Amino acid sequence: MSGPDVPAYLVIAAVLFATGATGVLIRRSPLIVLLSLEIMLNGANLALIAFSRRLGDGSGQIFALAVMAVAASEVVVGLGLIVAMARRKLDLDVDKLSTLRG
Amino acid sequence: MTPAAWVTLLLPAAGALVITGLGTAISRRVAAWIATLACLGSFAAAVVSFVDMLGRAPDNRAELSTAWTWFSAGSFNVGFSILVDQLAVFMMLIVSGVGSLIVLYSIGYMDGDDEERRYFAYMSIFVFSMLLLVEGGNFLFLLIGWGMVGLSSYLLIGFHHERPSAVAAAKKAFVMNAVGDAAMALALFLLIQKTGSLEYGVVFGRAGDQTPLVLNLVALGLLAGAVAKSAQLPLHTWLPDAMEGPTPVSALIHAATMVTAGVYLIVRTHPLFELAPHVQDIAAGLGAATLLMAGLIALVQTDIKRVIAYSTMSQIGYMFLGAGIGAYASAMFHLMTHAFFKALLFLGAGIVIHALSGEQDIRRMGGLRHLMPKTYLAMLVGALALTGIPPFSGFFSKDAILAGAMDDGAYGYVLWVVGLAGAFLTGLYTFRMIFVVFGGEPSAAVREHPPHEEHDPLVKWTMAVPVGVLTVLAAIGGGLQFAGVWTSVSNFLDPVAEPLVEASGTQEAITSVVAVLLGAVGIGVAWWIYSARRAPAPKPVVALERKLWFDEAYDLLFYWPAAVTASAFNGLERGAVQGSITAVVDGVRALALRVRSIQTGLVRTYAFAIAASLAVLVLVFVSVR
Repeated sequence: MSGPDVPAYLVIAAVLFATGATGVLIRRSPLIVLLSLEIMLNGANLALIAFSRRLGDGSGQIFALAVMAVAASEVVVGLGLIVAMARRKLDLDVDKLSTLRG
Repeated sequence: MTPAAWVTLLLPAAGALVITGLGTAISRRVAAWIATLACLGSFAAAVVSFVDMLGRAPDNRAELSTAWTWFSAGSFNVGFSILVDQLAVFMMLIVSGVGSLIVLYSIGYMDGDDEERRYFAYMSIFVFSMLLLVEGGNFLFLLIGWGMVGLSSYLLIGFHHERPSAVAAAKKAFVMNAVGDAAMALALFLLIQKTGSLEYGVVFGRAGDQTPLVLNLVALGLLAGAVAKSAQLPLHTWLPDAMEGPTPVSALIHAATMVTAGVYLIVRTHPLFELAPHVQDIAAGLGAATLLMAGLIALVQTDIKRVIAYSTMSQIGYMFLGAGIGAYASAMFHLMTHAFFKALLFLGAGIVIHALSGEQDIRRMGGLRHLMPKTYLAMLVGALALTGIPPFSGFFSKDAILAGAMDDGAYGYVLWVVGLAGAFLTGLYTFRMIFVVFGGEPSAAVREHPPHEEHDPLVKWTMAVPVGVLTVLAAIGGGLQFAGVWTSVSNFLDPVAEPLVEASGTQEAITSVVAVLLGAVGIGVAWWIYSARRAPAPKPVVALERKLWFDEAYDLLFYWPAAVTASAFNGLERGAVQGSITAVVDGVRALALRVRSIQTGLVRTYAFAIAASLAVLVLVFVSVR
C-alpha cells in the first residue's frame, strides 16, 4: 500500500477540524455555521479512517459511515430550521436567537 | 316463643328496608303506613311471645335462640342470638307498643313534610335498634343495638338537616353517646379477656372468680355507657338539645327507646353490678343527683319540650336510683309507667305546638284549656301521673323505688330524702307548665292562631288515637302492681333479677303518704304562683337558666384545651415543617438567580465554551502524559 503516511492525514484532519470550529465560533449566519459543522465532522471522519488504516481495524471506517448518516440527518433538521426561520422572515443571525437567555 | 320474638325484632327492620328500597315508587302515606304496620306487627308478635311465656313455669321462661354464629376466633365465639326472658319480653312490649303508637301519631304530625319517607324509615330503624338492644342474646348484640340506637337518634335529632342547630344537637348527642359506647366496649374487652366469653350466662357464672379491680372496672364501663345513653350526670347535656328533632322523635327517645336503655342495662347485668357494690352505689347516687338537678333546671325552662325533657332526666334518675339500690322490678315498673305518661306528655305537647303553628315557648301560650279541652285532659292525666298522684300510674311505681331506698341503710335514707325532694320539684315544674300553658286567659299568640280542636284538621284521628290510648294507660297502667298488696310485675321479673331490697309495709305507707303530700304541695305552690298569681313568680336563677354551666364547663375542659393544642400544633406545623420547606425553596431560587447569568442564549457562546473546554482537556491530557 502506498501514499502518504497517517500523520499527514491527521494534519489535514486537524486543519479541517480547526477550520470548521473557527467557522462555528465566529460566523453568525446559521447556514455557514451548519456548513462549518459539516467540515468539523469530516475532519473527524478523516482522522477515524486514518487510524483505522494504521491499526488495520475496520471498525473506524464503520464509525465514519455512522457519522455520515448522523451528519446527513443533522443537515436535514438544520436546514429545515433555517428554512422555517426564512419563512417567518427572521434575520438569519444566530446571535439574535437568544430567547433562552437566563 | 322465640319465633315470635324473631318476628318482633325483624319486622321494623324489614319495614325500614322496604321503605328505603321502594323509594319514590310509593307515596308518603304508604311509607308511613308501612312503618306503622311493621311496628304494630312487631308489637303483636311481642304479645304472642308474652302469652306463650305466661303459659310456662316461672323458672323455665328464659330461652336463648341462635340464628347463626356471628364470628368465632379460637375458643371465643359469638352467635347472632336473642335471649327471650321475662326482662326482654317486658321491654319488647314497651318498646314496640309505645313505639308503634308514636309512629302512628307521626302519620298525622308529619303530614306534609318534605321528607316523610326518610322520617318513617328512620323511625323503623330506631325501633329495630332498640329491640335488638333488649333482645340481644349476648353482650356483643347488646353493644350493636346500643350503637345503632345512638346512630338512629343522631339521624332523627338531625332530621331537619337544613337547621344548623338541629345538626349541632345531633352531633352533640352522637358524641356524648360515643363516649359511653367506648367505655362500654372497653368493659366488654375486659370481659372477653378475663372470662373468654360474651354470653350473659357464662360471664355471670365466671364473674365471681374475678378480682375486685376487674369487676369494678367492668361495672364502671357499663355504668358509663348507661349514663351516656340515659342522659344522667355527667353525660346528660345532649338530651335537652335533642329537642331539635320533631316532637314524636322526642317522645320515642324519651318513652320507648334510647334513654331507658341504661336502666335496662343495669338490670340485665345486675350480677356484675352486685359484685361491684360501690359502683352500684355510684349509680344510685348519680340517679339521685340527676333527678334533683334536672328537677331544678326544669323549673326555669321556657320551652315546653325542654320542660318535659328535663322531667325525663329526673324520672330516669329515679330509675337509676332504683336499679342502683337493687329494686330492679320497681325500676322496670317505673320505666313502663314513665313510657306511658312521658309519651303522652310529648304527644300532647306536640298537638299544642302543632295547633299554635310551631310555637314552643310556654310564655307565649296560655288559656288553652277551653280551646283544646281534650288535649288539656290528656296532658292533665300525664302531669298527674308524672307527679305521682294516686290513682294515676306514677304513684304506684315511683313510690315503690323510694320505699326500697328506705331499706338500704343510711345511704338509702339520703337517697330517700333526695327522691322526696324530687317529688316536690316534679309537682312544681309539671304544674307550672300545665298552668302556664292551659290556664289563664288566651295570650296574644294564642289569639292569633286560635285552635279549634273539635273541627281542627290539625288533630287527625291518627294523632288522637295514640293520645287517647296513652291517656288510658297513664291513668290506669300503674294498677298492674300495688306494692305490698299485689305484685304482678315483681312476680314476673324477680326470677331474672332478684331484688336486693324489700321494703316493709310501713315503709311503703310512709313513703307513699310523704311523697304524695310533697307532690301535692308542689302542685299547690305552682297553683299559688302560676294560676292564682297570689305571689309574684320568682326571678329565674341564672345558674339554673344556664343549666348549671355544664355546657360551658365542658367547653372549658374539653373544647378549649383541644382547640388551644390544635392551634399550637398548627403554628408549629406552619413554622417548622412548612417553614423548612419554604426555606429550601428560597435557597435554591437565590442560587439559581446567580447561576442564570451563565445562560446567555447565544449559541456561539456555548460552542466556544465547549471548544475551549475541549482544548483545555486536550492540553491537560497531553501535558500529563
